[in-house]
Amino acid sequence: MPVRKWMLTRRVLGQAGAATALAAVVGRPARADRPYRIGALNPITGAGSTYGSGMQKTILFALEEVKRAGGVDGRPIEVYAEDTQTSPDAAVLAARKLIDANKVDAIIGTWSSSVSLAVLPITNEANCLLLHTSSAPALSTPAQNPKHLAWRFQAASHQIGDAYAAIAAHEKASRAAAMAFNNDVQIASVGFFRSAWEKAGGKLPNPVVYEPNRTSYAAELQQALSEKPDFLVVSGYVPDTSIILREAYEAGNTAKIVIPGWAMGPATVKALGAEVLEGLIVVDAVPDAGSAAFKTFDAAYRAATGNPGSSNIYAAMCYDMVAVLTLAMQKAGPSADNAAIAQVIPEVANPPGQAVSSFAEGRKLLQAGQKINYEGASGPIDFDERGDVTPVFGVSVFHDGKLEQRYLLK
Amino acid sequence: MQGYLTAVGTVGGIYALLALGLNLQYGFTGLINFGVVAFYAVGAYTSALLALRGVPFVLDFAAAAVLAALFAWPLGVMCLRLRDDYLAIVTLAFAEILRTVIVSEEWLTNGTRGIPGIPRPFSGLGAAAGGFAYLALVLAAMLAGVSLTVRLVGSPFGRLIQAIRDDEDAVRSVGKSPARCKLVVFMIGAGLTGLAGALYAHYLTYISPDQFVPLLTFYVWIAVIMGGAGRVGGAIAGAALLTLFLEGSRFLRDVLPFVSEVQMASLRLAAIGLMLILFTLYRPQGLLGRVAR
Repeated sequence: MPVRKWMLTRRVLGQAGAATALAAVVGRPARADRPYRIGALNPITGAGSTYGSGMQKTILFALEEVKRAGGVDGRPIEVYAEDTQTSPDAAVLAARKLIDANKVDAIIGTWSSSVSLAVLPITNEANCLLLHTSSAPALSTPAQNPKHLAWRFQAASHQIGDAYAAIAAHEKASRAAAMAFNNDVQIASVGFFRSAWEKAGGKLPNPVVYEPNRTSYAAELQQALSEKPDFLVVSGYVPDTSIILREAYEAGNTAKIVIPGWAMGPATVKALGAEVLEGLIVVDAVPDAGSAAFKTFDAAYRAATGNPGSSNIYAAMCYDMVAVLTLAMQKAGPSADNAAIAQVIPEVANPPGQAVSSFAEGRKLLQAGQKINYEGASGPIDFDERGDVTPVFGVSVFHDGKLEQRYLLK
Repeated sequence: MQGYLTAVGTVGGIYALLALGLNLQYGFTGLINFGVVAFYAVGAYTSALLALRGVPFVLDFAAAAVLAALFAWPLGVMCLRLRDDYLAIVTLAFAEILRTVIVSEEWLTNGTRGIPGIPRPFSGLGAAAGGFAYLALVLAAMLAGVSLTVRLVGSPFGRLIQAIRDDEDAVRSVGKSPARCKLVVFMIGAGLTGLAGALYAHYLTYISPDQFVPLLTFYVWIAVIMGGAGRVGGAIAGAALLTLFLEGSRFLRDVLPFVSEVQMASLRLAAIGLMLILFTLYRPQGLLGRVAR
């Protein structure tokens, strides 16, 4: 009996070993010429799965588009895809696999802040670019981003917070209040709202932090409304925001409510009805829906996923990541390393320069030796000195059953 | 490739250390601990916070193990006299309570923002050598865990705890106190788990509450059950097998080129699930199953 067991064990171990060996062999493509390799590291499964597969598909079709336009001169591009599982540990191993086994030069499309924060030390160590859509302030501090290899395509928490304060000023609010979903991004946003608002001379009681996955937020709402504010920021996501909006309506709330755009989906209107939502203020670093880049992206996104491009702002960001990265590669030349590519990212994305909305357009102008300024699907894509995109926020008000854009905050 | 394999080895080693802790508790003593991740988090946060305040690494790791063991003490006192199932309920709840506490106590843990920039030992040696040195440290910790388990299990105390697992009433009838022994084992296992947490925190250099979710507990259970509960080698084999499933499946797409990238991610998790199901169906006693009793 024991003998047979041991043999079975050895056989199992043997198979396991063979599998590893096979994995090691097939996982290492050996090529003489060195293409530029991009790792698409997105949240396909886990909490980010609503956006992740759209993000990855976008990266793939955007790179196809680059290829159709003639590609980056002297630089073939390969792409490798991985799943972060929206979990930092899984993402770390996936990033290591992309960097060490697939030898990627850039990782693009990490979504949640905890994943980006965990992956960032690895990309820095390997001199690999990291283009992400996370809003944690720590991601662009000199300590975490010493080589300027990380670029943020999403509004950072402080920018969102400042936008809330600007709206409060615009709406002539006198007593403001705030509620935040209990996570890094939302708490930081209302924290920055508070400091910006108090700097402007306003006062804000302690923001009410609420937990995910509750069936009612009546108690938290009551607490937030206890000082009779006329302006309330609710910084959360679709499910919790819907509950809060309904309960605020039922409680006869009169304060103007402001929510971020990602906290309102098509289902929100259907579920709550026009009456509940009347007067609701929605702020978002909206994709520049009029822009040419957005139209191209939207058509391709519909073809790839069957959904409108406006349903996935992070996919629009991924589209811009590919455009900015490839344009920077084009500008930096075929032998440039990542430090040189990173250095020219602001040169292709920021003004001055002729506005372009696609890789094809930009490539032609760059070949002619002109300056360009990429205007993207998720916004104008201009970076500050920390590598954070400076978004344009659109402020919309829900009126008569639909959302009407009222003004822009720049 | 070498860097990736080092990373896989490091994470696998940390899983092995976790599995050793749980194997001591469940495999040898029959304690159903569903709160592995809680002691892991205690170790990770303790070590990270101390290291960021300039305490030397050796003391950080020691403090992580000791504090995790101390957290196990009140839980053990409360529920080890009761039936086994209660420990399962209490530890599962404890893990969730602890996570909520970590989220709320921002002054200490930085809340949901997590703690970035945790120093890593050997980082001065450069990427490749530093990675190797860290892998060696993890493997050394794992071997220390193995030798501790072997010594403990071979001692009279080890025979006693296995007797408790097999028949608690019989042990009581010969005048031994099962509750006390179980408490000691529970704390030692928690200490090993805390050490694994410390190794994890310094390896990842960033920790946040959403890394300490119950899923991790069940990964460790999978490792122990697949490896063979109640065998010292079982914990190691199980952790190795789990890591092989989790990481080997990443290369599936290289042999299945007709599957699209996006589908592959979901398919990969399905494949892991299928492998686990098939494994438990055809090898229910685990890779190094306990000799039939």
